[in-house]
Amino acid sequence: MTIKIAVIQFPGSNCDLDTIHVLNDVIGIKADLIWHNHFKEAEFDGVVLPGGFSFGDYLRSGIIAAHSPALDQARIMLNDGRPIIGICNGFQILAEAQFLPGALLRNDSLKFICKWVNIRVENKDTVFTNKMNVGDVLAIPIAHGEGRYFTDNLKELEENNQIVFKYSNEKGEITPKDNPNGSQESIAGVCNLDRNCLGLMPHPERASESILSPKGTEHGKLFFESMVDFIKKRVS
Amino acid sequence: MPKVKLEGDEIDVDLTESEIKWIKETLNRDPSITEIGMFDVMHSEHCSYKSSRPKLKLFEDAEKNYDYVLAGPGEDAGVIDIGNGYALAFRIESHNHPSAIEPYHGAATGIGGIIRDVLCMGARPIALLDPLRFGPLKGNPHSQWLFKYVVKGIADYGNCTGIPTIGGEVEFDESFESNCLVNVACIGLGTIEDFKHAPSRAYNPGDYVILMGGSTGRDGIHGVTFASRTLTEMSEADRPAVQIGDPFTKKMIIEATLEAVKTGYVRGLKDLGGGGLSCALSELTGDGGTGGDIDMSKIFTREPGMNSFEVMLSESQERMAFIVKPEGLEEILKIFRKFEMAHAVIGRTDDSKVLKIHEGNNLVVNLPATALSDSPTIDREEKRPAYLDDLIAQKTPESSMSLEDIIYKLIASENICNKEWIYRQYDHEVGVRSVVKCGEGDAGVLRIIGTNKFIAASVGVNSKHCFLDPYNGAKGGLVEVCGNVIANGAEPRAMVNCCNFGNPEKPESFWFFSKAVEGMNDFCRALRIPIVGGNVSFYNEDEVSNTAIKPTPVIMIVGIIEGKENIITLPFKNAGNDILLIGETKPELGGSEYHSVIYDLEGGKPPKVDEKKIKNIWLFIHELYANKFVKANHDVNKGGFIITIAEMCFNNKLGADLDLSNCFNENLRDDEILFSESVGRFVIETETQNYDKIMELAQKFDIKINKIGILIHEPEINIKGLKMTDFKLDSRKMKNLYDSTIPKLMEI
Repeated sequence: MTIKIAVIQFPGSNCDLDTIHVLNDVIGIKADLIWHNHFKEAEFDGVVLPGGFSFGDYLRSGIIAAHSPALDQARIMLNDGRPIIGICNGFQILAEAQFLPGALLRNDSLKFICKWVNIRVENKDTVFTNKMNVGDVLAIPIAHGEGRYFTDNLKELEENNQIVFKYSNEKGEITPKDNPNGSQESIAGVCNLDRNCLGLMPHPERASESILSPKGTEHGKLFFESMVDFIKKRVS
Repeated sequence: MPKVKLEGDEIDVDLTESEIKWIKETLNRDPSITEIGMFDVMHSEHCSYKSSRPKLKLFEDAEKNYDYVLAGPGEDAGVIDIGNGYALAFRIESHNHPSAIEPYHGAATGIGGIIRDVLCMGARPIALLDPLRFGPLKGNPHSQWLFKYVVKGIADYGNCTGIPTIGGEVEFDESFESNCLVNVACIGLGTIEDFKHAPSRAYNPGDYVILMGGSTGRDGIHGVTFASRTLTEMSEADRPAVQIGDPFTKKMIIEATLEAVKTGYVRGLKDLGGGGLSCALSELTGDGGTGGDIDMSKIFTREPGMNSFEVMLSESQERMAFIVKPEGLEEILKIFRKFEMAHAVIGRTDDSKVLKIHEGNNLVVNLPATALSDSPTIDREEKRPAYLDDLIAQKTPESSMSLEDIIYKLIASENICNKEWIYRQYDHEVGVRSVVKCGEGDAGVLRIIGTNKFIAASVGVNSKHCFLDPYNGAKGGLVEVCGNVIANGAEPRAMVNCCNFGNPEKPESFWFFSKAVEGMNDFCRALRIPIVGGNVSFYNEDEVSNTAIKPTPVIMIVGIIEGKENIITLPFKNAGNDILLIGETKPELGGSEYHSVIYDLEGGKPPKVDEKKIKNIWLFIHELYANKFVKANHDVNKGGFIITIAEMCFNNKLGADLDLSNCFNENLRDDEILFSESVGRFVIETETQNYDKIMELAQKFDIKINKIGILIHEPEINIKGLKMTDFKLDSRKMKNLYDSTIPKLMEI
């Protein structure tokens, strides 16, 4: 079977081509760049909302894109269990569109931060983490000005095991020092109840090739390989 | 400011009496008000290079002398052929005056402008680099304000457009206190085909002229004439001359433009920057040997009631002019519609060699197309300042401080300390090309996806050295910036420069410019580096305090690394390995950080450049690389080689045992050994077993090289073999000092 993934290009997306490169050239599946109001869900097995500054982050990051027709299409995929991942600005869009709980606020430093961090896997039973183990520490970069995760329903999130990643140190310990943006409970990524939709601030597409990684790791690949595995099982 | 009376109105212009006379003679009539406004901007120093052009003639022949240079000086960006069918476009430019008045938008629109320059060569912008200069931060809220918002302006604009900022440099010096320098550089990558499709000229009559992007408003009118004056107390009132940037629109322009160029229907492309439509239309037609007829009513404006003077002079950001083949018009417009970019067909080119602009039925502009771009030049006087001799004669005073305290003080100084506070705010990884990232090497290194080829780029110059000796200072800048890309394993391929100087009408200021240009020219010819572009920013002078900036000919070098295995990084790798110092250390403390930080002294004997020796060192390093002898490399820069070694120890938490006995000329004092900023030196890490072979090669190339120590596990640097007693530096303490300077000053 040919797996077909859509990478949605909103006006102002800027990690779209990077994601296409990784899916096509590193993971080896077919990914198409789709302009946001041309997107038709029926053609695709999964969808990526890439990073960037959709609609210039005007009004509030992610809010305008959350009203794009692309999200109506994506909602159909959400409801029938197909994979949806929102990376950085994509996460902000998914939160604004209420595919995922919570909100992304201004970093506590009030500055944009670009650096490699570590995240610890909290939940391996999602479409994008089935090739990881709980407690694994992944090296991955962040690049955002508004990534401080906040939710009113922390307890519910914890009970439902919707927290997928937390910022940690290299050993997997969660400390305030290793929380780069002041996120509640050091949360770096969350999923929906059905486990087919993931949003995270770090960039897996920037961590999928050893040449780009300070320590030579390729942890970002695990996200996309998990997705491919899931799709293969789902279809067969 | 001279006044000129036209059509019954009196208007202010920056043109001189003789320039007004030249215009009237050229036209054989009085110009219209709109026309005189267009002449005013196009003949400003910023657009016309009227003072610098006679001198810059030296750079003109790059395209002729190097077969891989596709576009040289005079184009919007330099373009070189880097093999595999790829072309690299790059340029550096200043945005000093706007940033001194309004740092956030000044810096942001600087980024916007340089992106357009590269884009209009048909290349995708893939990297930004920003050399910046401010007054010292300590105890200076004004400098802190400028610094904070310039960095934020660059970050917000660059991050949003998705172009990584992969490098830069910053200097802090009193002379930049009111005239900060904000230079911006951009690198674009495209295919040679794309580049050939879209020259910044309109060569063919009958093509459509399309304006695409942001609307034309009243902002930035006369931005370039403002940039061609010195700053005064009245400059605050010039704030409306600073444009407002919109990175989101810019991102859309980039995507729409690249998609349009791919069709092959775009036959000419020009960005609207300084001088707005006046500049773009006259250069497209004038340089292309055609003419054009433009209907002003088609130009979409931000507000009603704008007259032709305002429309032609507006410097509103985020606009591009396209020259499109008639048969491709519909397809190009379809692309602009997809990206929801405002656009209008505003006229057509013709073979009249005249630029005509109609406002309704009125012909408001009717000028020979070349009249605006072919302005007369001015031969400026130059004179070496007499005070330089006294400065150069200054001696290093006696110090009561110990060498170790001096080193601790140096490593924490604003010009040497860690610049992480800046680059953490820049997205330096978007594009998934950044292989050597900020802080990991002397240069930024980008991969070219789908090849085994890498681009290394660096910017910089030492303005303190240039102040004492602009000729050798400019050469020294080249040695250093080339050294940066060489340290990462690259071969320098081409250079662009950004000349920041004072008022060219003052002979002493012009002398600095003149000597720096000669230095760059002589060095580049000797070392076979093509100069493919440049930008000149004069009038960086404060009339209130009557101070000019230190002369700052910023250099940008782009180099190529063939093969991933040939990339070298800065940090020391393994304890037990040798530390070698390449190049000769001379008693050259003039303009050094040591003099400045410890004694508050500007003078002394500055470094001189010997091209022959530099060439040999580069060839030698090339041989070392070919033999895989080098584990780490860092060029020696501000603060001397002891700072270089400390910086190399930090990342992998290593230390060094240094034995400096018999390594240096015995007449050198200890402080000269440690802190001299003699150019062309490198510190490398090699494995002990290769020592003999390295020495053999050094002899072959007649290189001065010394083993000065070995790497150790302990985080300390032990120094012996100086005239004074041995001493020990605590690496952790140094790192702490190195890291904390800027955050301490900038975080509340």
